[in-house]
Amino acid sequence: MIGVLILFPIAVGLGMLIVRAEHPYVTKAIGAAVAALTFIAAIDLQGSEESFRWLARPFESSFHFGDSGISFWLVLLLALCTFCAILASNTGRQRQFIGQMLLLQGTMMGLFLARDLLVFALFWDLMLLPVFFVLVGWGQHHATAWRYLLYNFAGGLTLLLATAAFGVLYGSTDVIGRSGVHLVGSWVPWIFAGFAFAFLVKTPVWPLHTWMPLTYADMPGPMVAVVSAVQSKAGLYGLIAIGMAFMPDYLRASALLFVVLGAISLLYGAFTALVQSDTKRVVAYSSLSHLGLIVIGIASFNPIALQGALIYMIGHGLFSAAMFMILGYVESREETRSLTRLGGLGAQNPRLAGALCIAALAMLGLPGLAGFVGEILILTGVFQAGWTWAVVVALVSIVLASAYMLRLYQGIMNGPQVADLPVRPDLTWMEGLALAPLVLALVLIGINPHALTTFNTSAYNAAASIAQGTPQ
Amino acid sequence: MIIPVTSADWYAVAPLTIVAVTALVVLLADLLAPKNVNRYVPIGIALAGLIVAAIDCAAAYGHDYAAFGGAFIVGGFSVVFQEIILISAVGSVVLYGAIGVGARTPGAIALLLWSTCGAMLMAGAGNLMTIFLGLELLSLALYCLCGLAERRTAREAALKYLILSSTASAFLLYGMALLFGASGSVALAALVSPALASNPLLWLGAGLFLIGIAFKLSLVPFHTWSPDVYEGAPLPITAFMSVATKAGTLAVFARFIYAALPPGVDERLLLPVWIIAAISMIAGNVGMLAQRDLKRLIAYSGIAQVGYILTALAGGTALGLRYAIFYLAAYAFMNLGAFAVAALLSDDGEQGSVLANYRGLGYRRPIAAALMTFFLLAMAGLPPTAGFLGKILILSTSVNTGYAWLGGFLIAGTAISLYAYAKVIYAMYTRDAHGHAHDVHPFVPLAWISAVACFVLVLVMTFYPLTPSNVLPLVR
Repeated sequence: MIGVLILFPIAVGLGMLIVRAEHPYVTKAIGAAVAALTFIAAIDLQGSEESFRWLARPFESSFHFGDSGISFWLVLLLALCTFCAILASNTGRQRQFIGQMLLLQGTMMGLFLARDLLVFALFWDLMLLPVFFVLVGWGQHHATAWRYLLYNFAGGLTLLLATAAFGVLYGSTDVIGRSGVHLVGSWVPWIFAGFAFAFLVKTPVWPLHTWMPLTYADMPGPMVAVVSAVQSKAGLYGLIAIGMAFMPDYLRASALLFVVLGAISLLYGAFTALVQSDTKRVVAYSSLSHLGLIVIGIASFNPIALQGALIYMIGHGLFSAAMFMILGYVESREETRSLTRLGGLGAQNPRLAGALCIAALAMLGLPGLAGFVGEILILTGVFQAGWTWAVVVALVSIVLASAYMLRLYQGIMNGPQVADLPVRPDLTWMEGLALAPLVLALVLIGINPHALTTFNTSAYNAAASIAQGTPQ
Repeated sequence: MIIPVTSADWYAVAPLTIVAVTALVVLLADLLAPKNVNRYVPIGIALAGLIVAAIDCAAAYGHDYAAFGGAFIVGGFSVVFQEIILISAVGSVVLYGAIGVGARTPGAIALLLWSTCGAMLMAGAGNLMTIFLGLELLSLALYCLCGLAERRTAREAALKYLILSSTASAFLLYGMALLFGASGSVALAALVSPALASNPLLWLGAGLFLIGIAFKLSLVPFHTWSPDVYEGAPLPITAFMSVATKAGTLAVFARFIYAALPPGVDERLLLPVWIIAAISMIAGNVGMLAQRDLKRLIAYSGIAQVGYILTALAGGTALGLRYAIFYLAAYAFMNLGAFAVAALLSDDGEQGSVLANYRGLGYRRPIAAALMTFFLLAMAGLPPTAGFLGKILILSTSVNTGYAWLGGFLIAGTAISLYAYAKVIYAMYTRDAHGHAHDVHPFVPLAWISAVACFVLVLVMTFYPLTPSNVLPLVR
């Protein structure tokens, strides 16, 4: 059953790349149906597991898939975002594009469902490829694809070395989601460093972020929606499910480093977002800022902050997906992303303006939407853990968030109409349909965050017990 | 002393005999057949002979036997090396069918088979004489084969290969003479005696021997010949050379360090080898960055890949040897695959080896481009290929045996190499601004075999890593 979640999108995706028959609506319908089916199948995920042996030596490893505790919500987020993004896709060469989207979905499913470190590392490398191919085939700048691949592959390699060392040291890599796994030995700091580097590049945090704004600006909107919503969570997921679960002492010892990097990302991202003229880069830098907050939440080792981090991961996924999809709509309509050229679209496109407004409000943390719940929990937890200065930094950047979101909205929608911009029809029903599930989920989680707070994971329990000072 | 030769000894060399005799049959068939008989006849005969030899060779698995008084060892890991060599010979013969070299095909195939014979002899060599015999048989045939193509670079390649390789052979031979002087026997087993551990003759001899080996493996200070020779040689020969030469030499190297060194010597004696392996991993991958020719790219990649394999052998554990062979087999498949795609794109010529011709291939020949991408990803060690698992296994063994620093070089080298491989992939999937300037030629019929071979290799490369616990125990 779980194998289907991973293999089904990959098989259909490969099929789409190979079969040369093409019809825009049919490919879109097939892609959306696959994503919808995996979403439905994933609802039933909790408690089911699948495993078969891969390696016996030099360490035990199996193709072991299942819910590690926090994967459930990420898997749902992934399927939902892919579904919406496929509906929203409007690039050239639809068949190949949707094929790559499905490959991305399948490989990331594998990543989040892997219960084995080696399988995790395998899917970590695999999920880079669809993004690379999309950047090669649809991107505008040569440098982007390289930056993306080389940064993330460097992370993938340290992850691989760390995994191999973990396996040799512990004798098995079939550990994700298991409690009571503790590593001892003189290499453990190096293993932790290997994992941490990979996770921080992927998230990303300052100063490892330089691949991100380029990548996000260059890729077609629907793909960025999935990458920024879900792929950026892979690093955070790893930090919780691997770093925190198996090497809590080292994460705790380097908490200051993580909090400082997170805080710099928060401020640097917010200030940079304030002055970008490219719409997608504004949101890319705001993502850097938001993800920095999540890193602080995780590194604070406080159960409330961790809870908040998990909710914020989902919330950020939902609103950044919606945001990038809307910016994709704007870009495909007006053929520019420049805030200096855009303006006054709101009068002619009221529905588009409304959608952008909702996404922007969610992004700046309006109460009643998912982002707010996560933010407030993280701030409370971080304050409780004693990082007062980090809370102050976060509050400053939240104020800045309102400023850059307002600037983005005004730059696109308000002001006098620009004469040389092409006049295009307002949001179509298909585009609206693609956004509706995301907005609905944002509101539902905002109103009833309790649904998401029932995480029960070894990582979370470990953090909670460490935070409360009880030895494991 | 006269060693009695029994029929068991002759059975032991049966696979080699089959390959050698097939070569004669190919020549005779060419002599007796009417003119204008097409090139598929010698190719068919050669393939049949190689497959029979492979089956016969596999039958020897598990029946360990030291034939001719220990000169030729059957069973153990030599079977696996011989199978890899035979597979690369099959691949090369198929590529001959796909690109063709006109009237010279029968002669080329006969030489190729004798060369295969030499490599197989090296894989099973149990004493210094057999090693040298195998090496010379392998090399002499290759000197001729390199010069076969009708172009200036081919002659240059042949001459360069002849001179440099002979120099290496001289080192090897002098080292062997000193080793013989130290132990009084040509048998590798005689070198294990602890009394030799402090004998300067052994140190000097082993050092020269290893220099010769490093030369043949094209490790870094001795690597400059390989890109030029690979570039000049015909495509099928390059494919063969890149696998069989390395497999044969690695077999000799593995047997030498595992079974022919006095206790306590290996760590100090072999340290320089590991250091040049580390340098090769970096230099080979850096060298790849500037290449415009697939064959040169693969030559540099081969320099680095041998470094990876040596990383597995460092530490001298049995598990390390298994992983080395696992990786070598994966390396054989990925190289043959890449050459098969290149052959697919060539039409009685070598257009497929010019990297500029790959520009925009993803839109003209999507399947060929996808296959090439797959093989390049395998070389870079990305999933879902055998290259990925091979690297994991090598990394874990390097951590285990205390050679983690070699693992670090492997990681750094891999990071560099990805750029080089991805450059080719990138070129294949960018849209050519000038339309289809470099359109490729239509398939010649046997290119389809090459295409089928590609598909088979893709399947092997995908499923091979899934079942390592079935494959790895094969190596003993």
